[in-house]
Amino acid sequence: MTDKKVNIILSFLFVIFVILGAYQGRNVEFYRECEAFYRWILAVGTQERLFQASEGEQKTGKFVDLQLFDKVSEKAIPLLQNEERIKDSIDNTISYRENFANIIGDISNDPIIWKITTKKEMEALRKEFLKNLREGKIEFSRNITYAEAQESGVNIFNLFFGFRKIAASLIWLEVDRYWHQGLLYRMVPLMRTCVTLDPNFVEAYLIGAWHLAYNATAKLIETPQHLKKWNPKYKACVGEKETFYYLGIDFLKKGIRHNPRDYKLYFDLGFAIYKNKMNDYPNAVRYLTEAVRVPHERWVRRQLYICQELNGQYEEALQGWEDYKNRFPDNPIAPRFILRNQGKIYEKKAQELIKEVEKISDEQIKEEKIKEAENLKKQAKEIWEKLSKEESDPYGEYRLLLMDAMDLYNQGRFLESIAVLDKARWESPSNFDEASDLIIKIKQEANLPLTVSEKKAVLRKAEGDRCQGMPEEIPNSG
Amino acid sequence: MKSLLDSIKGPWFIAVYTWREGLRRKTLVGFLILSLLVIFGATFMTSFINQATVGDVSTDMDLKLIKDICVTTISIFGILITIFISASVVPTEVENRVIYTVLSKPVRRFQYLFGKFLGVQLIIIMNLCLMGGLFFIALYIKQQILPTLLLWSVFLTYFEFLIVSALTFAIACASSSSVLPTIAGLFIYITGSLTEYLKDVYNRSGQTGEWLDSIIGYIAYILWNVLPNLQRFSLKTQIINSQPNDPPTDVLIPQLVLYGLIYAVCGYILAYWIFRKREV
Repeated sequence: MTDKKVNIILSFLFVIFVILGAYQGRNVEFYRECEAFYRWILAVGTQERLFQASEGEQKTGKFVDLQLFDKVSEKAIPLLQNEERIKDSIDNTISYRENFANIIGDISNDPIIWKITTKKEMEALRKEFLKNLREGKIEFSRNITYAEAQESGVNIFNLFFGFRKIAASLIWLEVDRYWHQGLLYRMVPLMRTCVTLDPNFVEAYLIGAWHLAYNATAKLIETPQHLKKWNPKYKACVGEKETFYYLGIDFLKKGIRHNPRDYKLYFDLGFAIYKNKMNDYPNAVRYLTEAVRVPHERWVRRQLYICQELNGQYEEALQGWEDYKNRFPDNPIAPRFILRNQGKIYEKKAQELIKEVEKISDEQIKEEKIKEAENLKKQAKEIWEKLSKEESDPYGEYRLLLMDAMDLYNQGRFLESIAVLDKARWESPSNFDEASDLIIKIKQEANLPLTVSEKKAVLRKAEGDRCQGMPEEIPNSG
Repeated sequence: MKSLLDSIKGPWFIAVYTWREGLRRKTLVGFLILSLLVIFGATFMTSFINQATVGDVSTDMDLKLIKDICVTTISIFGILITIFISASVVPTEVENRVIYTVLSKPVRRFQYLFGKFLGVQLIIIMNLCLMGGLFFIALYIKQQILPTLLLWSVFLTYFEFLIVSALTFAIACASSSSVLPTIAGLFIYITGSLTEYLKDVYNRSGQTGEWLDSIIGYIAYILWNVLPNLQRFSLKTQIINSQPNDPPTDVLIPQLVLYGLIYAVCGYILAYWIFRKREV
C-alpha cells in the first residue's frame, strides 16, 4: 500500500473516531442533563409538598422554578398515567402540580421519574430548564457539577478541576478547627461554602444545623415573650435563641431539597430541632413521618411514635409501637410505650365521655355514661399500675397520682389534691411543669395563696403569647 | 491461526518488557509510594474530628473525608503516573537507541507501538489496583462493609486516564525527549478538565451582534463537541458518595467506558500516524 493511501486511511479513521467521540460525548451529555433535570424535579417536588405551605410561593420574580414545575407536571402526569404502578395514585380532584409532588414523595417512584425525565416528550422542558439555569432563574438547583457550570464564566467548578468534594472536605476541616476554638460565627459562612461546593454533603448540613441550634444557643438566655419580634417569614415570634433555631431549620431544609431521600436530614429537623429545641410536636411528627418514608435506621421510628404521643396522636403511636414490637420482639422499650399509649387512650375516652355527660339531660343515659367513664378510668389505672410495677416506669406512678389528684379535685378536696400533685411532680421530673400548672390552677380556683415562683409563672402566662409586631390574625404556620 | 498468534505475541512481549521497565522507574515508584502514604494517612487525618451529634454523624463524616481524600489522591497521583509513563516510554527508547534493535527484528511498527501502548496501560492498571486496593482496605476497616462502589469509581478513573494516556502517547511519538510530552500531557489533562468552559463561551456568544463573536462561539461549540471532556467522568466521585436519590448509573457507566475507548483509539491512530513517518 502506498504511503498516500495509508495516510488517507489513517486520516479517515481518525476523523471517523473523532466524530464517534463527539457523538458519544453528546450521549453522555444527554444523561448528565437528564440527571440535573431529575434532581431539580425532586427538589421542587419536595419543596412543593413539604415547605410550600409554610414558606409560600416563590416571592422573588427572578426565579421560575414553580412555573416550570407546573409545565413539567402537566406533561408528566399524562405520561405517568401509562405506568401501572402509579396510575392509581393519581388523584383527578387535585392539581397536576400537587399530584406530581405527591408522586415524587414516594421513593419507590424514583426509577419511573428518572425514566420520564429521559423521555423525548420532555426534551423541550429539559432545554427550558437548562436555559433558565444558565440565566440564573432556577432557585432549587445547585448542582455545580453539571448544568450550573455553564451559568458563569470561570467559576468554582473550573477552579477546582472537578475536585470540589475534596475542597468541601478540606474546608470542613477548617470548620472543625473553628469549632474547637469556639469561633462559631466564623463557621457559618464556611459551612455554607461547603454545601455550595458539595450539595450532597449531608453531614455538613447535619453538623451545621446542630452547631446553629445547639452550640450557638448554649449560652444565650431565653428572650421574654414580649421582647420577641414577629418574623413574617417563619410566621412565629422570634427571640435570640429562636433566630438560631430557624437558621438551623433553613440549613436543613436546604439539605432536604438537595437530598430528599436522606432520612438523617428529616430526622434532625423533626427530632433535634422541632422536638428537642422548639417543643413543636406537630412539625416534629411531620418531618419524622417523612424520615420513615425513606430507608432509615430502626431508632427513627421510635422517635416518631414518641412525638406522636407528645402530639396527642395516641392511636397512631400505639399502632406504630405494636408494629415495632412485632418487627423487633427483643426491643425492651416498645412494651412500655404500648402501655403508656393504651393508658392515655383510656383516659382520653373517659374525659370525652365526661364532657358528653355535661350536655345530656336524660338521667339514665347520664348514669350509664358516667359508669362507662368510671370503667375506662379503672382500666387506665390498671395499665398505669402495670407500667409502674412491671416496667418500673415512673411515668406509671405519676399518672396514677395525677388521676387520684383529679378525682380529689372533682370531689372538692383541693388541699389533698395539691398534696398528691406535689408528690406526683417529684415522682416524674419530666412532667414537673404539667403538675405545677395544675397545682396553680387548683390553688387559684380554691383561693389558696401562691408561692413566689407560682406567682411569677402566673405573671409570665399573663403576658400571653403575643410579641412585638405580631399580627392580629395569625396565618397558618408549617 | 498461528500467524495471528505470532502477531499478538510480539506486541505482548513488548508490553511485558515495557511493564517491567516501568517498575524500575524511580519517579513512578516515588509517586506510587507518596499516593499510598496519603491514602493510608487519610484515616489519621480524620481521627481528630471528634464531633458528636444526634445519631452517628461523626462516623459518616470520617468516612466522607477518607473517601474524598483517597479518590482525589488516586486522581492526582494516578494522572501524574499516567502522564509520566505515557510521555517517556517511546522517547526513552529513542534516546537509548533500543528502538533500533527492536525494529530491526521481525516486528512491525504497528505492533511495536501497540505493545508499548499496552505496556503503558498495564503499568497504569497496576498502579490503580495498588492505590484502589489500599483504599478498599481502608474503607472496609472503617465501615465494615465491602465498598463495591469504589470498584466502579476506580474502573471509571481508568477510562479517564486512558484518554489522557493515549493523547500523551501520541505526542510522545513525535518527540525525542520526554519533557515536551510530559508538559503536553499535563495540558491535555487541564484542558480536558476545562472543556466545559467552551460551552459557556458558546452560550455567551452572539451577545454583541458582531460576526466575530458568533464565529468564536461556533468554534467553541465545535471544540466542545470534538475535544474530550474529562469532567464527564465526575461520576467517579459522585458514585462513591452515592445518595439514595441518585439516578441509576447502569446506563451512564457503559456510555462513559465507550467514550473513553473511542478517544483512546483516536489517540492511538494519531500516535501510529506520527510514528510511521518518523525516521528511526
